[in-house]
Amino acid sequence: MLAVHRDVLNIVQAKFLSAEVVRSIHLNVSAIDGRRCDENRILALVEYNNSFALFILISSKIKPLSISDLSIETVIPIDEYFSCDTEPIEGSQFHIIFIITYKKIVRAFKIEIGLESSNFASEVIRSKEVSLYNKPIFVWLDKYIGTMSEPSHTSDLGQTDTPIIRQHIAQGPSGINRDSMLKYQLKLKEPEFTQKQEFSIFVGTWNVNGQPPSISLRPWLSCDENPPDLYAVGFQEIDLSKEAFLFNDTPREAEWYKYVMEGVHPKAKYKLVGLARLVGMQLVVMVNSQHYPYVKNISVDTIGTGLLGKMGNKGGVGVRMELHNTSLCFVNSHLAAHVDEYERRNQDYKDINARMNFKRTPQAIKDHEQVYWLGDLNYRITDLTTTQVKTLLNRHELPTLLRADQLNQQKERGNVLLDYEEGDIKFQPTYKYDLNTDTFDTSEKARPPAWTDRILWRGKGVYQVAYRSHMDLRLSDHKPVSALFKSEISVVDPSKYRRVHEELLKKMDKYENEYLPQVTVDQTEVVFELVKFRERQTREITIANTGMVPAEFEFIKKLDENSYCKDWLRIIPYCGSINPGEKCDVKLEVCLETDLTKIYDILVLHLKGGKDMFIIINGDCQKSSFTTSISTLCRISVPIMQVTDEQWRLALKDVSESSVLYSVPRELWLIIDHLYRHGLKTRDLFESSALHEEIIRIRDWLDFGSLDPLPGNVQAVAETLLLFLSFTKDPVIPYDVHDACIAAASNFQNCRQIVLQKVSDLHRNVFLYICMFLQEILKYSNDNGYDAKTLASLFGDILLRDQIRNSKPQASRGKSNFVYNFLVNDMSSSIMPHK
Amino acid sequence: MSAGPYNYSYIFKYIIIGDMGVGKSCLLHQFTEKKFMADCPHTIGVEFGTRIIEVSGQKIKLQIWDTAGQERFRAVTRSYYRGAAGALMVYDITRRSTYNHLSSWLTDTRNLTNPSTVIFLIGNKCDLEGQRDVTYEEASKFAEENGLMFVEASAKTGDNVEEAFLETAKKIYQSIQDGRLDLNAAESGVQHKPSQPGRNNLSSDQQASKDNCAC
Repeated sequence: MLAVHRDVLNIVQAKFLSAEVVRSIHLNVSAIDGRRCDENRILALVEYNNSFALFILISSKIKPLSISDLSIETVIPIDEYFSCDTEPIEGSQFHIIFIITYKKIVRAFKIEIGLESSNFASEVIRSKEVSLYNKPIFVWLDKYIGTMSEPSHTSDLGQTDTPIIRQHIAQGPSGINRDSMLKYQLKLKEPEFTQKQEFSIFVGTWNVNGQPPSISLRPWLSCDENPPDLYAVGFQEIDLSKEAFLFNDTPREAEWYKYVMEGVHPKAKYKLVGLARLVGMQLVVMVNSQHYPYVKNISVDTIGTGLLGKMGNKGGVGVRMELHNTSLCFVNSHLAAHVDEYERRNQDYKDINARMNFKRTPQAIKDHEQVYWLGDLNYRITDLTTTQVKTLLNRHELPTLLRADQLNQQKERGNVLLDYEEGDIKFQPTYKYDLNTDTFDTSEKARPPAWTDRILWRGKGVYQVAYRSHMDLRLSDHKPVSALFKSEISVVDPSKYRRVHEELLKKMDKYENEYLPQVTVDQTEVVFELVKFRERQTREITIANTGMVPAEFEFIKKLDENSYCKDWLRIIPYCGSINPGEKCDVKLEVCLETDLTKIYDILVLHLKGGKDMFIIINGDCQKSSFTTSISTLCRISVPIMQVTDEQWRLALKDVSESSVLYSVPRELWLIIDHLYRHGLKTRDLFESSALHEEIIRIRDWLDFGSLDPLPGNVQAVAETLLLFLSFTKDPVIPYDVHDACIAAASNFQNCRQIVLQKVSDLHRNVFLYICMFLQEILKYSNDNGYDAKTLASLFGDILLRDQIRNSKPQASRGKSNFVYNFLVNDMSSSIMPHK
Repeated sequence: MSAGPYNYSYIFKYIIIGDMGVGKSCLLHQFTEKKFMADCPHTIGVEFGTRIIEVSGQKIKLQIWDTAGQERFRAVTRSYYRGAAGALMVYDITRRSTYNHLSSWLTDTRNLTNPSTVIFLIGNKCDLEGQRDVTYEEASKFAEENGLMFVEASAKTGDNVEEAFLETAKKIYQSIQDGRLDLNAAESGVQHKPSQPGRNNLSSDQQASKDNCAC
């Protein structure tokens, strides 16, 4: 055994009780998750009393120096359900894939072929054999499940008796509280074992307008004399196809990645840190390979803010990491388009900030020491005509133009990118050019030039050296932009670190009893005002650390519940760390999407290694047609808020055919009628997302009734239709026939049979009514640009929506194929006539 | 390698349960801080306290969970029973209703903990003899019938508080000695001294592995 191996084995062993023996470990393992490859895993085979388990540990360093560098990611018991296998990697002689299967979990790891891997694999196989003879008991694993860093994996383990993480109570001081204390104290003492070192960071952004890569990126990425230490390269619109929009799948990702790799500075070698992509947005972060060993805790996330607030035609993608001891976050965003939509852009920015949630601490963008924000932010120049802009440009009066720049204006007002800095812009606007030229838009629309593509930053010790555009790259209607930074990164001295670390451990042993976390919460009962459908309401509670140690808080699950809060509530942040004497505001945001009449819950706010507090949530809800069942809506003849209690009771209770008043809900008819009259020829009718207020106005118009015309523009009404169908109490096509629908999708007659026989009259009416309307849209496909496939994908996921709401923008092909049948065949005769 | 040892060899988990206002938090405070906390606010959640005690020459760290007594939190506080080695069930000798509810608390305890959990009944506020509403004999009989340990105590004066916590620990320690308590089960609410991070822990943990093998 190598000396390195033995050192690490000892450290891994310290993570366990002494009777739990680490039999074998495997270092340098990469976890493969889809296309992503997470390095720094260690596999450990652990035995207690003849029962074996495989632990997947995350090491925050390539080679862990102490127990606090390791956290347990997943625990897999080795019993009859366990199996493992290997698979060759095409074109690689040095690595294989090691696959572990346990019940429904499949995990794949890339490992190097060699003595270590064959020893490890044979130990695992032997342990599996042993477990077949004994009846292994796995109670000893319970306590580790509570310490796993990604609890999402635990639910798959089938060990459902751990809803509330109480195991580490009995683990006491070795539990997480100790870790957080250590982290805090280490941070305080950071200057004692680190020094600042300057790193050059190249940040680039380019909206490529859907063009495939065809030219070298060297003039952009390698324009500086010296190779940068780190690259963050962001693209927007790498693929404008409907396919990419609906299924988030594009061959362009790999193509652009290849061009980036070929375009980086020739004087250095680079290694990929993280790649994040959502539809057309792609962010590639790479480091000079000599720095790669000092990169840790990599995580990526993507946020869609487009249609329905989740589709990925707009939004942001992020990559976070720690380089040595400094946390860095890169965000590439593509915000809403059109000159007037700057509020929407501000909103997109806020949404990305609020929703981007990395799986490593810190999780939020704002909590990183350095953030680099790049992208097509889409802010334009206001109040100047194209001619005026061009004249000013010719006269080199950039300051005048920059004062009219929406981003500068909005930023000044504190509406966006508040504490970010941007360097002086000394380059021409980067949008909009005729393709393959340096000439501003000469088309009929003659859009005024604008600085849509920007790079900003926040954080200490970041100095911008260059900020420029690259006119020579003429592929797109945008020009690429880049910025070069000199950024201070704190670098650890390992021997000093070890000394400080050891001293701290000793000190903590001594003062343990005084180090219990203490916090107070300013309110324990939170009452919301009347809660309305999809109208967010926020309350803030403040958690103050009144103790002597950092308090790591987390809202935790109650017994028999599968989440720490009900689905109508969001808690931001739901976990975090507060230093002594500091406070943390926690936002409680209610968003009602069901037909509840009251909201009520008790939240459990847990302090790691300390007490729990209860917070009561209370509020009444207003009913809405959006969350009512189709069957009930067809039994009321007036807007839902005008219905008397008696009528409402009857409509909910009476399911007889005679009580049906309408063949489709009145609200649905009103929406579709409006779209039919005003929207058939609208381009991208279903792809632009409306302002939230517009949707609320339409909702109130439908629910309260009004003599005024339906408010909102036609795209807002179109989004309302999608929303309406997404939230009715039951889906248009009942859950229990979805599988049958998908299975029948290739045959219209089979699909037709399902709709005729397995779907109730009212639901069938709604389904066919929608399909007829979509057929109507298809008649004008020259104007609106829709084809049957696209509409089918868009509506497939809504008409056959999943029981568990899908938050990621990805359509199901089976459902889309099913709906497609009804867009190209006539079924109008099957609609029940109106009485 | 530096030793930096923990100064205890076991960790026991306790819970304190009983109606609202019987003085659960005050008992905990009296035990951990040796002070009476006047005007103690209602607990909304589960408080946590810790103290190291000595039983038969062994240092033991008690981790004590003091639960909210309000009825509306009952469903939530139930999840804290699991894995308790000791349960202190408290009533107020001056309020009969708190005594009457004991059987319901006892049912929860029996259902939610394991058979080896030691249950100790405490009649609190024994300094208020003049307002007594439940006799010692009556409660003593109830304890005997249900196989509970029992004292009357006062969080205000400190009478019998120490005893209640210590007797519970002795009983748990006995169970370990008798082998009735499976140390490695997370449910037991008892843990050996945890392994010291970053150092070789052969010497100090040999004891632990022996015990583990015994069960």
